Amino acid sequence: MACFEAIKDFLNNFIANYSKTNTIIMKKILFLAVAFVVVIGCNNTTETPNTEEDTTTLIPQSMEVETDEPTEINPLGSYVGMFLAEEYKANKKPSYANKINITIDSMTTDKVYGHSIVAGNMRPFEGTLAAEGDTYTIAAKEPGDDRYDGTFDFKIENGKIVGTWIAYDKNLAVTKRSYNLDKRKFQYNPNLALPEDVAWGEELYGTYDEKLDRGEFVTYDVLKFNASTTELKKEDIENMYQADLEVIRNSIYARHGYSFKNRRMRYLFDTYVEWYVPLKTNILADLTDLEKKNIELLKRYEDHAEKYYDTFGR
Amino acid sequence: MPKKHLASYWLWAAVLLCYAYLSYLMALITLQYLPISTDIAFLRIKQDYIGMTHYRVAFFIHVFTSIFVLLAGFTQFSTYLRCQYYRIHQWSGWLYTVVVLLFAAPSGFIIGIYANGGIPSQIAFCLLAVLWFAFTAIAISSLLKKNIIRHQNFMIRSFALALSALTLRAWKYVLVAIFHPKPMDVYMVIAWLGWVLNLLIAEIIIFKKRNN
Repeated sequence: MACFEAIKDFLNNFIANYSKTNTIIMKKILFLAVAFVVVIGCNNTTETPNTEEDTTTLIPQSMEVETDEPTEINPLGSYVGMFLAEEYKANKKPSYANKINITIDSMTTDKVYGHSIVAGNMRPFEGTLAAEGDTYTIAAKEPGDDRYDGTFDFKIENGKIVGTWIAYDKNLAVTKRSYNLDKRKFQYNPNLALPEDVAWGEELYGTYDEKLDRGEFVTYDVLKFNASTTELKKEDIENMYQADLEVIRNSIYARHGYSFKNRRMRYLFDTYVEWYVPLKTNILADLTDLEKKNIELLKRYEDHAEKYYDTFGR
Repeated sequence: MPKKHLASYWLWAAVLLCYAYLSYLMALITLQYLPISTDIAFLRIKQDYIGMTHYRVAFFIHVFTSIFVLLAGFTQFSTYLRCQYYRIHQWSGWLYTVVVLLFAAPSGFIIGIYANGGIPSQIAFCLLAVLWFAFTAIAISSLLKKNIIRHQNFMIRSFALALSALTLRAWKYVLVAIFHPKPMDVYMVIAWLGWVLNLLIAEIIIFKKRNN
């Protein structure tokens, strides 16, 4: 029942697109008219259950969580979780929750050195350390030459980091954050896929960008291909929306632990993708040849859609 | 001047203005390819084919000659110009015919074979090219046989298809604005919608003309 499938697909896309802009009743009327025609047109065919989209190539695998070592937990390593706004100015469009990676690089008996990666910003810190058994209490400072620097106060205990961060600059949108992070070991895994249990057809919560006046709107097409393991062909992607292509391409970066500056992509991966760990601010050198090839193709179609999709032309 | 005439004057002024504006946009689309580049605009997503000589040659012939069809075509249907300035009608008629028969239609057929949107749109574009060529050829052969009515009717059909350059792109703009379809879905629709509707209108015009 290709006819029914195609029409259903079309209507879904239509509904999804219009849920993002609550404009104009005329459009809704038009939609109803189309739906009516479609229903009439399809009435004489027998319905068969819809087969689900082929997602067999996607095997979600969660990150290894290093919490089950009973004896002597090594405090060094990366701790990942959400960096939550505690004190903020709502009128300055704060990012309420970003995924942060706090990495402890080295320790002496009373000193600690590390760095944090959040929202495409990697910053070193150093501070004092008080050890009590397997619990470490840390007070650390960022250098202060970046606008978003501040102080970290946290405890490392049982493979977790719990604490707060306070900005030096009290005029920032967010001046205090809290976090509860789990120790995670990063390993590049090309098979990591976007989760299937997200309502991809809707505007994704928390991705609204006031500057662009839109949130992240993608469809289930984002689950169709893993661009880190499959060589994409023109035919695979030419009928996809620009936003879907963008997410498929950025999934490549996410697998390498790229920390997103782009707010929409950041919200999407931070919020919806459990395996995603921000690790680096530049991953170009880590990309495989296959990924580079796919990125080039995806970007080509994204650019084309950006320029020509809604213009007079082809 | 009678009121009825005045109204139709305004209508024609609006149509011509619209035509001029869309032709201007077409000229801009054409100019994108100058200086000649094979990795720009529409060709960015035609990289699989642009390497083939026949595709490349056909593409650039189509882009750079078809624009003259719009220029030569629009004067041809004015009774005033046809009667008072017969030479203009003759010269732009020749330009139109030569461009369509030797360049625009054959090249359109070749690039139509590789059209976006799969088999449905490939059939649509190739059929369009064949009909365009045929209607234009019949119109000219009718003229040579001094059958002016048949010449007129087939030129109306031919120009209706020539106008698909504008209507196809206009439909795409409208459909995307309203329905937000996927890129190749819209392509498949406009490949047909762009000229079939024009041809229907042409048939209506011919039918009315006959009844008058």
